[in-house]
Amino acid sequence: MGTDEKDKLFKDLYDAIVIADTDKALSAARKLVYDFHVDVQELMNRALLPAMKHVGELYERGEYFIADMAMSADTFNAIMKEIIEPILGSNKETSGSSKRIVAVFGTVQGDIHELGKNLAKAYFMANGIDVVDLGVDVPAEKFVEAVKQYNAVIVGASALMTTTREEQKAVIEALRKAGLRDKVIFIAGGAPVTDEWVKEIEADVNGSDMFKAFEKVKELLRARGYATS
Amino acid sequence: MPRPSFYLLSRDEIELVYSKALEVLSTVGIKIEDELVKNFLESNGGVKKDDRTLIPEELAKEALKKAPKTFDLYDRDGKYIATLGEGANIFAPGSAAIYIIDHRSKDVRPPLLEDLKNAVIITDYLKNVDAQSTMLVPDDLPTQVRDFSRLYVVIKYSKKPVVTGAFTVENIKFMFDMMKVIRDDFNKRPWAIFDVTISSPLSWSKITARNLYDLAKEGIPAEIISMPQLSATAPATVSGGLLLHTAEVISGIVIAELVSPGSPIIYGGSTAVLQPRYGIPIITAPESVLLSLAYAEIAKYLRLPSHTYLGLSDNKIIDYQAGAETVYSAVLAVLEKFDIISGPGMLENELTQSLEKLILDDEVVGIAKRIAKGFSLSADELLQDIDEIKDGINKRHFLSSPRTRKLVREFHAYSIFDITARSAWDKKEVHDKAHDKVLEILKTYTPTMLDKDLIKRVEEVYASAWKYYNLGNPKLV
Repeated sequence: MGTDEKDKLFKDLYDAIVIADTDKALSAARKLVYDFHVDVQELMNRALLPAMKHVGELYERGEYFIADMAMSADTFNAIMKEIIEPILGSNKETSGSSKRIVAVFGTVQGDIHELGKNLAKAYFMANGIDVVDLGVDVPAEKFVEAVKQYNAVIVGASALMTTTREEQKAVIEALRKAGLRDKVIFIAGGAPVTDEWVKEIEADVNGSDMFKAFEKVKELLRARGYATS
Repeated sequence: MPRPSFYLLSRDEIELVYSKALEVLSTVGIKIEDELVKNFLESNGGVKKDDRTLIPEELAKEALKKAPKTFDLYDRDGKYIATLGEGANIFAPGSAAIYIIDHRSKDVRPPLLEDLKNAVIITDYLKNVDAQSTMLVPDDLPTQVRDFSRLYVVIKYSKKPVVTGAFTVENIKFMFDMMKVIRDDFNKRPWAIFDVTISSPLSWSKITARNLYDLAKEGIPAEIISMPQLSATAPATVSGGLLLHTAEVISGIVIAELVSPGSPIIYGGSTAVLQPRYGIPIITAPESVLLSLAYAEIAKYLRLPSHTYLGLSDNKIIDYQAGAETVYSAVLAVLEKFDIISGPGMLENELTQSLEKLILDDEVVGIAKRIAKGFSLSADELLQDIDEIKDGINKRHFLSSPRTRKLVREFHAYSIFDITARSAWDKKEVHDKAHDKVLEILKTYTPTMLDKDLIKRVEEVYASAWKYYNLGNPKLV
């Protein structure tokens, strides 16, 4: 089992994520982890993160559509779920997970449209953020509980409908009441979100575009002293 | 009488989609986020399967039999407006916009309660847009009261029927209470239609499931709106979107008809293509329009009143694109004989309303309806035409005939489009003329206000709702 073979497997994994070939990606990732004893950090840094970043670039260049990104995100999530999370789960104490940056994502109460949230989750995870997914129709208090439970520093509350966008305000209010508002970076996500709306509800990040949102989150994290990739 | 009509699906194709939609409901089923409605459906024939509820084919077919094939729509004051289910072509402004193009500054901003009042007054004035909608979400009101406050403004300032809806489970009851003040027979002779949306794919949120349930209990028309976005919340094929849409709307009909057999429903929708690059819904995309036209034919096959979101634009400003999208979608909608068409005034993927566009769209709606009406043709009329032609060849024109004099008054009368010769043209663009018209209407037009005593009583209900949320005195307009 030489270095060449290992390098080839990394390349295969990278390519498989970019073209969204889940079977091939899982097979390469398994070999790297179980045969070459590659650790999670190396797997993330050498294949998963750069592959997702390249997917993002392909989108930016107009070569990829959203559907292409969604496919790659599925492949990425499959590796996270089947390979990385079980390992992280088994050595929680030693993986240094306490240092990781945690975000809680969910769609606001009354809104069950989760496509955008799921894509953003994949992209954030691809960029090294631990995303706790609260699912859909999440009441404001649930966001607050999750921030406490997971010691989260990012909250992403998304709303697809113009009528449910209002609930983002309620989440911010609940965080404020719990004394957590200043602790977290609040992303107001979803198509109807605009810069004016972000200003009005005193959110931190306009999440209508996940790429721009992530850049902004990174900037805010750095300002708060967190190391980001 | 020649009348243009539009057919897209054959009967075999309709029956194929319908039977497959029933299969989807009986094998995939729906997810209902509200326990009360979920339990209700499961104790009345729905089958629990994990966290979903399957709807057996027979249950769906029985429900469809119970839904009224037609029902009459009235105005606020009880006057008959139209029979829905016969291709009424009633246009209502696109609803629940969270932005308005400020008609003075031209800026785009969140709307205020005062804007809603102005929009209602403009719509009250319009000749071809037949109904109101609670078209703006007022940003200057507390979040909790934004839904029913909109209905208060419409009820107060216009007698036209209204397409409305609630954003919460609780507030729909305040809306019913306001309607009860106006007329005891508010449900027997309805003037308000409530939108309830199912979230594609096949999911009812707590709010919309409960709204549908409450509407059926009261016997108030529910416009069941499935909003598949091709490639995102629905398959990327038009036929797949049609299949999903059919299953989704039928699932709503099943709930409504089980709650209250004979409860009036409208087979509605708002279709879109998720723009593959920018991820925003394009309602007027050709594939989306095809999907809307196709589901109207399923509604006709099931003999149910129908609704769509067409006659609007996805662009952000009023320009060539906005006009084109509005016109082709409005004309196709009338030819397809939808009963309710939501759209006028609307821009930007159903986010933004414009008072100027309402004025311009009223013209579009008038022209579309005129085309849909067709023309008369009979042997008697052709005999008269022969006489006219004989006269005409002598006079070399047809202008000075009593018949012409009468008939020119029946041509479409343009209200805002520029039809002047260049020599008579005031050099104003039609958009600027629409702006002038908005100002003129708001200054001079007296809307069809509600009777003073009734306003007082409606405002009492309105105030009680604000009190329920401990919000102090209500904001009146």
